[in-house]
Amino acid sequence: MHRRIPQELGRDPWFVTGAGVGLFLLLLVLLGPSLAPHEPYDMSFFPLSPPSAGHWLGVNDGGMDIFSELLYGMRNTVEFGLVAGLISLALGVAIGLAAAWFGGVPDQLLMRLADILLAIPAVMILILVAALFRPSPLALALTLSIMLWPTTAKGIRAQALVVKNRLHIHAARQMGASGAYIIVRHLLPELFPLYLIGFATKARMAMFMEASLAFLGLFDPSRKSLGIMISYALKYYYLDIWWNWLLPPVFLLSLLIMTVTFLAISLEKVFDPRLKEAM
Amino acid sequence: MKGNLKTMRHRQYILAYLLAGLVMMVASYSLPRLLPGDFVTAMYASSHVTLNADQERDLRAYYTQRQGFGRYLVDFFKLNWGYSYAFLTPISGLILQALPWTLLLMGGAHVISMLVGFIAGVEAAWRRGGYVERTGVGCMTVLEGIPEIGTGVILLLVFALYLGWFPASGAETSYAMFSPLGRAWDVAQHLALPLATLVLAYFPGNFLLTRGSMVMVLREQFVETARAKGLPPARVRYAHAARNALLPMVTRFGLRIAFMVTGALVVETIYAYPGLGTLLFNAISMRDVPLIQGIVLISSLMVLFVNLALEYVYGWIDPRVGYAP
Repeated sequence: MHRRIPQELGRDPWFVTGAGVGLFLLLLVLLGPSLAPHEPYDMSFFPLSPPSAGHWLGVNDGGMDIFSELLYGMRNTVEFGLVAGLISLALGVAIGLAAAWFGGVPDQLLMRLADILLAIPAVMILILVAALFRPSPLALALTLSIMLWPTTAKGIRAQALVVKNRLHIHAARQMGASGAYIIVRHLLPELFPLYLIGFATKARMAMFMEASLAFLGLFDPSRKSLGIMISYALKYYYLDIWWNWLLPPVFLLSLLIMTVTFLAISLEKVFDPRLKEAM
Repeated sequence: MKGNLKTMRHRQYILAYLLAGLVMMVASYSLPRLLPGDFVTAMYASSHVTLNADQERDLRAYYTQRQGFGRYLVDFFKLNWGYSYAFLTPISGLILQALPWTLLLMGGAHVISMLVGFIAGVEAAWRRGGYVERTGVGCMTVLEGIPEIGTGVILLLVFALYLGWFPASGAETSYAMFSPLGRAWDVAQHLALPLATLVLAYFPGNFLLTRGSMVMVLREQFVETARAKGLPPARVRYAHAARNALLPMVTRFGLRIAFMVTGALVVETIYAYPGLGTLLFNAISMRDVPLIQGIVLISSLMVLFVNLALEYVYGWIDPRVGYAP
């Protein structure tokens, strides 16, 4: 492994674009509350007024500043994506490693469970849970993670099985290293690129799901989200306000998901030499 | 030995799908029964829907009846899926009415995007490195990143609202007395925008994947042999090389189904296309829980069925699959 990953990433236009736009969006997310000119729940403005110096993107039908709503909505969407991405990654790594390490019956059981979860469309479980229990966004992110871990776990398991049989692991074992030591010091670091790719693809899927579920009306309607903004604005698309109310959340959501897609694609390309040849 | 391995793998996956179907049935049966206390009141407390006394009593009766799981299964197979109180009709009727539109939209989008994506991917791999090919791959990667909500809204604004070429909502003009041919044209016009949105969402992935696997296949020696035999290039491309690039696309279909179902729900809602997605949207906004449950269960089972059918398609496309452990 004498490849210079950072340099290779730096030369990939997709990664550079994704990272650049991603940093900008991250700044918007982190600084959102201080950048927003108004409280997003302040309903005291004149409904449906066009953009002006005080309201960069105008005011919506409920008398709320659209620009502030946009910043807070994006925060929620990104937060949901990152939380669901992280939890499903943690689950996938833990289960994949456990399956590869123990083998035998635990491996069989975990992988059959993964097959079952892969077969069930995650969005259907989410809709059922959201409609019946009206859970908090965090609980819904957790539910989604429980549905999303199998692909990561299978990838991690396959790679861990390969690494487990390499010479240096046998050497470490010969020198008396414990199982925990080998997992923490050898397996976990060597699987590193897989985490990044898994995290990026899961976070992308989770953001997409959050926006879609919010659009379908499965979240608390007062929660700010890009999906809910699109769904409300779409009701008035025939009025002359589509360009300042409907387009900004659509544009921002597309930009967000596109950025994560670019990052995922370029990571996969750089870390998987087989794929790189094909590109 | 050979037959043994093949049936092993098939059995394993068929078992996974059957179990997944059972999980969905059990979840749909037991989740409402897990709800604590007087959940009917709780469920409607924070929504804008108000029930009258009769509806509330019926709903409570519906959810508190102690029906066994066996009875539930029998009812399910007799298409006795309960009663929607928002539409005041049996759920089976509503779902069977919406289903053809969804199948038309989803099926059409998949057939077009797979066919065109595959051919375009094969051709792109053949012309690898050219200017057109590089631009194509770039455009497709960008398009791959745009979610269905984005494409759907943009197409709606441009083609339905600004240019006015296509209708903005529905699946056909209601109460219009058309000749059969006129009706087909009307349906096609309504289908155009949602179909285009879904094709734009599915096409890039199929294209990029086919191109990637085709590039690898073209390096193999049997392609060189075919070329050396003096076969026409089109025959080398499709009869020899491309069939080996077909499998990843079919595999990807199964893996991305959760993503695709979500997108289809959103697209139907944007264009108010009267399929399962719009029905679900309406059920959610009216908090019609029995209907939501019915749609969720039926669509999950359909997805499982498609995946199960694909298992057989894999074996047919690529006999090697059967031997893989």
